[in-house]
Amino acid sequence: MAGRIAQHPILGCQNENKKIVTFHYDGKEMKGFEGEPIAAALKANGVMVHRYTLKQHKPRGIFCAIGRCTDCVMVVDGEPNVRTCMTPLAEGMDVRTQYGVSDKPFDQQ
Amino acid sequence: MKIERFDLIVVGAGPSGLSAAIEAAKHGMKVVVFDENARPGGQLFKQIHKFFGSKEHKAKIRGFHIGEQLLKEADDAGVKVELNATVAGLYQDREVVVRMGDEVHHFKGDAIIIATGAAENMVLFDGWTLPGVMGAGAAQTLMNLYGVKPGERILMLGSGNVGLVVSYQLLQAGCQVVALVDAAPKIGGYGVHAAKVARTGVPFYLSHTIKKAEGTDHVTGVTIAEVDNHFQFIPGTDKHFDVDTICVAVGLSPMSQLLKMAGCKMEDNPKRGGQVPIIGEYGETSVPGIFSAGDVSGIEEASSAMIEGRMSGAVAAEYLGYITKEEKEEILAKLKASLGSLREGMFAPKNRGKDIKETEEGIPISTNLLHKGYVLDSEIERFPGVTHKKGVHPVIECTQNIPCNPCQDACTRHCIKIGSHITALPAVDETADCINCGMCVASCPGQAIFLVNEDAGDRKAEITLPYEFLPLPETGMKGTALGRDGQPLCDAEVTRVRSSKAFDGTNLLTISVPAEFAMKARFFKAAAQA
Amino acid sequence: MNELSNRSRDIGEFIPQPDDDMIVCRCEEVTKGEIRKAVHEGLWTIAEIRRYLRCGMGLCQGQTCAKLVKGIVARELKVSPALLEPATSRSPMRPVEMHVFAKETEDTDL
Repeated sequence: MAGRIAQHPILGCQNENKKIVTFHYDGKEMKGFEGEPIAAALKANGVMVHRYTLKQHKPRGIFCAIGRCTDCVMVVDGEPNVRTCMTPLAEGMDVRTQYGVSDKPFDQQ
Repeated sequence: MKIERFDLIVVGAGPSGLSAAIEAAKHGMKVVVFDENARPGGQLFKQIHKFFGSKEHKAKIRGFHIGEQLLKEADDAGVKVELNATVAGLYQDREVVVRMGDEVHHFKGDAIIIATGAAENMVLFDGWTLPGVMGAGAAQTLMNLYGVKPGERILMLGSGNVGLVVSYQLLQAGCQVVALVDAAPKIGGYGVHAAKVARTGVPFYLSHTIKKAEGTDHVTGVTIAEVDNHFQFIPGTDKHFDVDTICVAVGLSPMSQLLKMAGCKMEDNPKRGGQVPIIGEYGETSVPGIFSAGDVSGIEEASSAMIEGRMSGAVAAEYLGYITKEEKEEILAKLKASLGSLREGMFAPKNRGKDIKETEEGIPISTNLLHKGYVLDSEIERFPGVTHKKGVHPVIECTQNIPCNPCQDACTRHCIKIGSHITALPAVDETADCINCGMCVASCPGQAIFLVNEDAGDRKAEITLPYEFLPLPETGMKGTALGRDGQPLCDAEVTRVRSSKAFDGTNLLTISVPAEFAMKARFFKAAAQA
Repeated sequence: MNELSNRSRDIGEFIPQPDDDMIVCRCEEVTKGEIRKAVHEGLWTIAEIRRYLRCGMGLCQGQTCAKLVKGIVARELKVSPALLEPATSRSPMRPVEMHVFAKETEDTDL
């Protein structure tokens, strides 16, 4: 997978023995490691934009990665405002870009 | 509804919270630690560099290993750590409301220790909300906890220890750091941390800051410009870099809201990083039974946070009668001495904001180090760790007074002298014989020690340097030696590569260079990379 | 009386600046211009500005912007940021869904 550190000089192979799971990002099939934050899996798959803001419709992505800034929220399994940096990835998850508080683009809302 | 009671409730399972819990539990207290994260250890598990200090502060051990030790100690002491447990409120009479799963739980502690740590500061610039702009902590989390590169080409804003350490870690993760930028005129962090980044070729731009993060949906570039004394942009100084990621490391602020909610007297103290509780020497807040420890009451290092945790744990134990006043005093006296030695030197809290021009030894500080991240060839000779003699000898490029002494302990031949005052600059004893064991090189958390043989024969010099990158060069490999400034100096050949468990992840690379570069060559790039 | 409680003090007119469109509160999308303007409209405390503009009242509860807002307000009032009382800290400290916040557990035993 692109974006992954295959071998780290200090930490070695960080994702050894982790189970690979399949999930969906805006309907597209992607792979990640079970239990890693959704945000990490998305980053490894090259996804930068997690949501578009309610007022100005501006893109946002990972900002603090520890659950404090809430910028990385997305619609996960139908539930909006899920902090993807804190939520573990599971097999079959449905992850969608959040537009305002919806998974529908603004012109369809 | 139900309330469960504990002798002590600790909020935050980072270095200070765990240390507080361990200390209290050792004295027989019933302790629970709540942490909102899925893993304990706070930020310790993201710290993959070797820590400073002396043996008692766990110096030369990597942060994540200290985290593992702390968890084991907590487990042995019978400390209960509740994860994914978010403390939502702290009320009168030390009532704690915790969200666990889909329910709210109520607890009451006879004593409470708040060890919630800190959050990253931010600065405003055009485009700062774009995806690709992130806190340095976020980058650290992605690469060191989850093995994901935060980006490919990265600009770092902030030259404090966090900015410097994370820049180095980005390089270790295989990312490219295009520049290290700070609006301040001088590098804020340890010179040794700056030097190990600079020697790989990362340029430093002090008195510069970000003008604009470019891109429509995510970062595609960044423009920085020079600022004057009033932090205003100087026209015509714009510099552009193609980057996909911008990391921001501009300091931390205590997360002290719970203490404020509980009615503790607070103050705005810029020296401590912002809103902090007004506390006694051992973390006693204005509310009896509520204590604080670690970054929440003043931004410092993890090493001091662990000692502060122990202190507040001991104070809480005496507060509830688990130990006598005398026992407490005895524990505190030891801890106080240990904390005191960490709070010495140029970067001590008491010296924040001071313009220090000389070391304790009276040697002028390298101005180039403060502005560019490396000591000039013409400056390095004035430091006591830099000497010359026949055969292999250590060259210690440690030029600021920081609390650190593992090199002294590492050398079994007593070549390296610091003395009992651990902020003193290490000096080389030329009468002692170096046996080229490499322990000093591997033990230096600042990667500032080199073993040099100025005359290895055939008009060549040999330099042994610390190397923590992949791929690890092999013996016989040819490449380029870089100077302290990260610029190519001369051809170099790897003559020896040493890796050992005792070196704890730091490889020792010996390179052969023309003799005139003995005191100049400090990094190696293999031919394909150069 | 400190500089803050002296409300007869003249802080001058609101003068538009080129970076007024810059977002300060990321969650509620409150701009620097809105905050500066509010100060000139007579909102001199963080609590007032917060209630009026909602900056710091979004999902992150001011984690990122609190210091930034304070700095902007202080500069506009020409006082030290330390003089400004930070916003009140209230439970819940982190976003909690209402259905969770209302659900008291029956068995707490850890």
